[in-house]
Amino acid sequence: MLTGNEQVDLIVTGGTDFSRQVAQGQLLPLDDLLQTHGQDITKAFQPEILEATKVEGKIYAIPSIRDFASNTNVLMRKDLLDKYNLDASKVKTLDDLDPILETIHKNEPNITPLGKPGASASIVDRILENSWDILGDYIGVLDSLDDLKVVNLFETPEYEKLIKTARRWYEAGYISKDAATSKESAVDLIKANVGFGVIQKGKPGALAQTEQRVNTKLELINLGKQITSTTNITAIMLGIPSNSKDPERAMMFLNLLNSDRDLINLIDWGIEGKHYVKVGEKSIDFPPGVNATNSGYNMRQGWMFGNQLLSYTWVTDNPDLWEEMDQYNRESKKSAALGFTYNPSPVKTELAAITNVVRQFQSGLENGALDPEVNLPKFNAALHAAGIDKVIAEKQKQLNEWAEKNNKTGS
Amino acid sequence: MSSRVTGISLKKLKKYKMLYLMLIPGVVYLLINNYAPMFGIIIAFKDVNFAKGIMNSDWVGLKNFEYLFKTEDAYIITRNTILYNLVFIALNLVVAVALAVLLYELKNRFLPRLYQSIILLPYLMSSVIIGYLVYSLLSMETGLINNTILPLLGRGGVMWYNDPKYWPYILTLVKIWSTAGYLSIVYFAAVVGIDHEYYEAATLDGASKLQRIFKITIPLITPVIIIMTLLQIGRIFYSDFGLFYQVPLDSGVLMPTTNVIDTYVYRALLKNGDIGMSSAAGVYQSIVGFIIILISNYVVKKINPDNSLF
Repeated sequence: MLTGNEQVDLIVTGGTDFSRQVAQGQLLPLDDLLQTHGQDITKAFQPEILEATKVEGKIYAIPSIRDFASNTNVLMRKDLLDKYNLDASKVKTLDDLDPILETIHKNEPNITPLGKPGASASIVDRILENSWDILGDYIGVLDSLDDLKVVNLFETPEYEKLIKTARRWYEAGYISKDAATSKESAVDLIKANVGFGVIQKGKPGALAQTEQRVNTKLELINLGKQITSTTNITAIMLGIPSNSKDPERAMMFLNLLNSDRDLINLIDWGIEGKHYVKVGEKSIDFPPGVNATNSGYNMRQGWMFGNQLLSYTWVTDNPDLWEEMDQYNRESKKSAALGFTYNPSPVKTELAAITNVVRQFQSGLENGALDPEVNLPKFNAALHAAGIDKVIAEKQKQLNEWAEKNNKTGS
Repeated sequence: MSSRVTGISLKKLKKYKMLYLMLIPGVVYLLINNYAPMFGIIIAFKDVNFAKGIMNSDWVGLKNFEYLFKTEDAYIITRNTILYNLVFIALNLVVAVALAVLLYELKNRFLPRLYQSIILLPYLMSSVIIGYLVYSLLSMETGLINNTILPLLGRGGVMWYNDPKYWPYILTLVKIWSTAGYLSIVYFAAVVGIDHEYYEAATLDGASKLQRIFKITIPLITPVIIIMTLLQIGRIFYSDFGLFYQVPLDSGVLMPTTNVIDTYVYRALLKNGDIGMSSAAGVYQSIVGFIIILISNYVVKKINPDNSLF
């Protein structure tokens, strides 16, 4: 929309869109407006979170308040676990999944044991973003969360181990042969009674919300502690485009989105009595006679608009979800590069070529369709030819400059 | 063409004023739709910054073009684009003309219309739908070929979407299936326009059906064939994005045989949305297309001046 120079006053941005829009001057710096019309925003945030969104010392967009951390979950159907007497609580690593997947594969020929977490995400996709600080775009990641050293993700031993696991599952038949081209997610499969499990991105409430979607009981296993990187925070934000006619009013509205309980609930859930009714202090449910299909306003996208902590929780969720969320955010493992936003424009030529290489290999490797022994070296050779070393050097340089300016060091 | 009017005198302007008047809407349309946007070519040479606006953005020379030629992909995508298009043009021509002639030979009055509709139908289908039609045949777990046809022949399944070597054939087949019908209608119109007396005279002289086709029909529709082919050659550097992106279901493994200039550019800029770099690709394709059309028109003109476009 911004490319067409359309008149917009507030826009949802995030991730690589955000850094591009900042680099191309499409978003207004908000620092002054925050002081004059956005005091409630500053109050609503932990200072370190807003701080983390800064690009070259300026705030360009306000994150919606939601989960600022994520970890890796495995979700599996409870009915099938019980049927074959499988104990999910024993699963501590990915390798522990093998016996469970094997039992399901052997006894339930119509069921694909492991599905994809999203239409275009690979089987192991969520593990990547919850194990590394991906520094915005995966092309150059932090070697460890405590260390400001940028490395090529696809050359780390951990990545190799991960895709070998995917290959093993593919060859054993736990992953669909069509996984790399299919647009079906695990949720689709489970809903249609042809799926069993998924490796997903975790957050408080994820279990209840997924159960809602697939309409069956699931069991959740946490693999690893939640982490917070700049990407978690900047993933979904609201910014004011530079062609806004009235930035001050846009900021006032943004301010309300972070402080006005009624407005937030109106946007998130619709009109009380018509689209929802209160059941108890914090929870809401459909009014009698209304359900998900005839409600007319059932977006469930509260994570996109302002301060989600002010909204009601759905009756199927834990009423204390937001307290839980707050704790989850506070206790997360913070990346050493938290607050660093990378500007890819100096290496955009290389990135264009690299993106094509990644598209060629990544999905095949991470869904097990390609043999890592042959194709991982090919993948990395192609990445080097496309100029990944230059991109990583540029990222490291920007990271060092940022660290120096902000007195950050890897511990 | 020696009688062609050169130069406009006031007298002629007056004489043909109604004709010139009628020309205006077409010219205005061309100016607005085809010439005004050419101004955008300058975007290809700029580092576009929306805060500064297009005119004030910095000039960057040829930097926006670099990514097109940077890696060995440059060779692969250029080769794929040109070879696929050459094959498509040649096969489409043969199949479409053959269909047109066959349709004409049908003596029944209603059948040709039915057949025309049937062979035109795939052309009207969105490539997304075509992609899933192909997928229903080739899906590795649930497809018709792997589950029904190959087992009947006593053979195991083929990993269609993991093996690039099958795709030049699959894509060519799909392309011909979807566009030959459309082209055949153009040729059919040309064949219908041929005077019956030629055929009657030929039949009286004892010409066989095949002779009539090759000595009368084909030579008489040659101008149409050349125009249609020249127009396609002008777009030889562009590719049918839907065919190369949707039909292989964007399977990365297949990229060695399915990546063409348009899909490369799309994938490269999907994330960074840089309009300078995408304009650069457009400029590059148009200029090469323009040169190729000049060359091929020149060749046609050498062989037979009456058949050239300009």
